[in-house]
Amino acid sequence: MPQLALTEAVFYILLSLQKPLHGYGIIQNVGEMSNGRVKLAAGTLYGALNSLVEKGWIDALPENPESRKKEYVITKNGLTVLKEELDRLSELVDNGKRILGGN
Amino acid sequence: MRRVIHKIFWVWQLEKEQAWINEMASHGYSLEHAGRLTFEFEETEADLYTYKTLFLKGWADSEENRKYMKFLEEMGIKVVCYINYPGTTWVYTRALKKDYPDGIDLFSDIDSKVLGMKTMGGYMIFVMAFTLFAALLNLWCAVGRGFFSLINFVCSISMFVLFTLATIATVRIFVNIGKLKKERKIHE
Repeated sequence: MPQLALTEAVFYILLSLQKPLHGYGIIQNVGEMSNGRVKLAAGTLYGALNSLVEKGWIDALPENPESRKKEYVITKNGLTVLKEELDRLSELVDNGKRILGGN
Repeated sequence: MRRVIHKIFWVWQLEKEQAWINEMASHGYSLEHAGRLTFEFEETEADLYTYKTLFLKGWADSEENRKYMKFLEEMGIKVVCYINYPGTTWVYTRALKKDYPDGIDLFSDIDSKVLGMKTMGGYMIFVMAFTLFAALLNLWCAVGRGFFSLINFVCSISMFVLFTLATIATVRIFVNIGKLKKERKIHE
């Protein structure tokens, strides 16, 4: 079965977690990557992080004793899913450009 | 200086209560503690904090809710206080206004908004069932025992009024869920 489309929030979270980041870091990173367009809210991020850990797409790292903040990082499975999503998005963009005549 | 205000908000008035607390904060009174009928404010600079009241399923000290509240604290959203109700917890949170100039928004996509509203809707159904049961029981006690009881009659009418208000609020929640689900067919 082909993979279902990822939500924008999940796509950006996985993209952010190429290096370990805590929740607030993810929000800031996503905001910067999207030039402020995507603003992840705390509750949405919490639900998404829990689902991604359950699916094994990200790992929760042991809590940093200094900051007492939990950090997350993408797993091999998560990276595969992200690359597949990128292919799917590329197909959308290519078809859109081909038909609408964009560059 | 501490200021104590006695005020009542019903379970379906979460947003109204939040708007009032934020209005107090904009006048330099920051909420420090809330009880069922009491709100304690500390005089601070105006607009120092922005507040958000949330509705959590289960008790505040359940493992899931403790994890969630800790996560919010990591986000700079501090839990000021909370009140346990049967099966649910009413949580008062705040963050520095400079960190959250547009207010605290907990849900940024349709799916999580729907999930949050379903939790509230589920609890409202419980409130509806409870108030209807109490209204009917009091009505029976008022007129169904061979004599008239004014106290039970008044209680019954009050419960019917609460039931009606809870029903209106519940319908509103589920209408909004329906609208969001319709939107979700097209947008995220």
